[in-house]
Amino acid sequence: MKRYLKLVNFEFNRFFKLYLVLIGITFVAQMSGVIVESKSYHNQANEIMQEDLLTQSEYVQQYGPMSFLNISESIWFLGTIALCAVTLIIYVFFIWYRDWVGKNNFSYRLFMLPSVRLNIYLAKATTILLFVLGLIALQLLLLPFENQVFKWIVPEVFRTDLSVLEITNLYYLNLLIPKNILEFILFYGAGMTAVMIVFTAILFERSYRLKGIFYGIVYCGVSILIFLAPLLLQASLLENYFYPMELLFLEIAACVLVLAGAIWIGNMLIKNKVRV
Amino acid sequence: MNVKFNNRDPVYVQVIQHFKEQIATGIYEPGQEIPSRRELANQLKINPNTAQRAYKEMEEQGLIFTEGNLPSRITSDEKVFQRVREELILEAVGAFVDSIRTINVPLNEVLQLVEQNYHKKGDSL
Amino acid sequence: MIEVKNVAKKFGRKKVLKGVSFTAEKGQITCLIGINGVGKTTLLKAIMGLTPFDSGEILINGEKIHPGTYEKITFIPDTITMLPNMKIREAFTFMADFYNSWNAERAGELLKFFRLNEDDRISDLSKGNAAKVNLILGLALDVDYVLMDEPFSGIDIFSREQIADVFTSHLIEDRGVIITTHEINDIEHLIDKAVLLDNGVILKEFDTEEIRENEGKSVIDVMREVFQA
Repeated sequence: MKRYLKLVNFEFNRFFKLYLVLIGITFVAQMSGVIVESKSYHNQANEIMQEDLLTQSEYVQQYGPMSFLNISESIWFLGTIALCAVTLIIYVFFIWYRDWVGKNNFSYRLFMLPSVRLNIYLAKATTILLFVLGLIALQLLLLPFENQVFKWIVPEVFRTDLSVLEITNLYYLNLLIPKNILEFILFYGAGMTAVMIVFTAILFERSYRLKGIFYGIVYCGVSILIFLAPLLLQASLLENYFYPMELLFLEIAACVLVLAGAIWIGNMLIKNKVRV
Repeated sequence: MNVKFNNRDPVYVQVIQHFKEQIATGIYEPGQEIPSRRELANQLKINPNTAQRAYKEMEEQGLIFTEGNLPSRITSDEKVFQRVREELILEAVGAFVDSIRTINVPLNEVLQLVEQNYHKKGDSL
Repeated sequence: MIEVKNVAKKFGRKKVLKGVSFTAEKGQITCLIGINGVGKTTLLKAIMGLTPFDSGEILINGEKIHPGTYEKITFIPDTITMLPNMKIREAFTFMADFYNSWNAERAGELLKFFRLNEDDRISDLSKGNAAKVNLILGLALDVDYVLMDEPFSGIDIFSREQIADVFTSHLIEDRGVIITTHEINDIEHLIDKAVLLDNGVILKEFDTEEIRENEGKSVIDVMREVFQA
């Protein structure tokens, strides 16, 4: 346990500088987005009101008010969220391959640590989870602040105000920031299962190299198939035999099964088969 | 301490030889403390097992002795000193005679040359 | 004792080890000598559990390798095993964090002996100095066995002398050591036992002092006989 925590700490620190850069970019881009979008709405409104000689309320009636949605659906927001997501997805691979690439072979050291090797696997997964949660937390912290800045720039008559809860319930943000704890566990549980499937597939490749790529792909296919099995059965053979709640529980069971499989196979590979 | 070892004689034998030379030339005095096997291994850049073996052999030959847990010492026995000295002289003379014989030089000539050279080298030292 | 029993290993169709058996005792330096081929390194990796093998068995002190074994045996490969952006001090801290057998005092001694600065970054080190750091990372562990892969290859003459110095001052003494090499010159007088490996087969295993004593042959003489036969 002690060594697992040390490994988590170590893996966390290894990515931390880049992570801070990511946080910096997110902060700067989103704040710029809030300012630029708000200003441009406000300026545009002023221009049109002057040209067409409209009052503020007439303008709002004709052109509609501005809400935070206009900002959160802008490229500033979508871009940063996509950037963070893509970076972390790439890091899911790089967190393993960085131990092998280059002239320094950290994989030697890692696999010669006097600790159960599964700890390495779990520590890397934990690190990914921490980074994801960290970014979500950052977003939750930024939203009220950004909302406030939006309110400062755009006068009240032009605005439809949304609370943070309302903002997070809209569209894609709802996926990232679920409303209740159950959804949170479901979404992130499924997400982490996907991460671990990829981890185990990477270990297939690291163990059997060229052949391992094939094994890894087959393994991913089987995992996805098992995960989707209840849905597929429901849609085909069983013809809506299950109630939605039953289907949900079956899905959870399938997910747990796939997750357990990923960890078990990953453990076998990292313990007995992996090569430096 | 820098000793050049050859590849074909056992290292422990060469270590013993090295000690004998030092005893014969008086670098080691009777009863003088000698390095531990580990120190010796480090000084000569050899394996401690080899140093150990050399010490064991030297102890058997009476060149060194150990009392209890104290460091080993060079023997104080004058007879052993004498013996080592003779042994080394005989060895050197033997090797010399062997190589002289192969080129068929008469003894008189050799002795004369030996005398001349011995003095010459002695002067330059 | 490290016991390698009939170990075989293929890479694709190429047989790298064809049923290799030998033992390495504690308190002895065993030298795996091979002129060419990858068998030597593969063998060390197999002992360390860093590469799986196809058949045979390897026992360390009578047990198969498990996580705790890494407190008792260490491997010094010919490539540095720490992150390039680490300072030497950080690499030491990492070792101290994870190994109970890390001997910080000895690491400090060795660092001083090699005249290295603990604030140096690993990526900035010359090849010779990187090899020295690598050596410290292995030798400062209080382990029973040390495995070294080609400790002298590609290193300048002065670094080699220093490393050979450290061998007699810090390495041996009750530890078991396995060294691989393709040239024996630097350590001919240091090793207890030579194991000649070629094409995945052990051709000869002998005690170096015995062969000098009984047959009047140097290690190189024997290598010449065996490898050129």
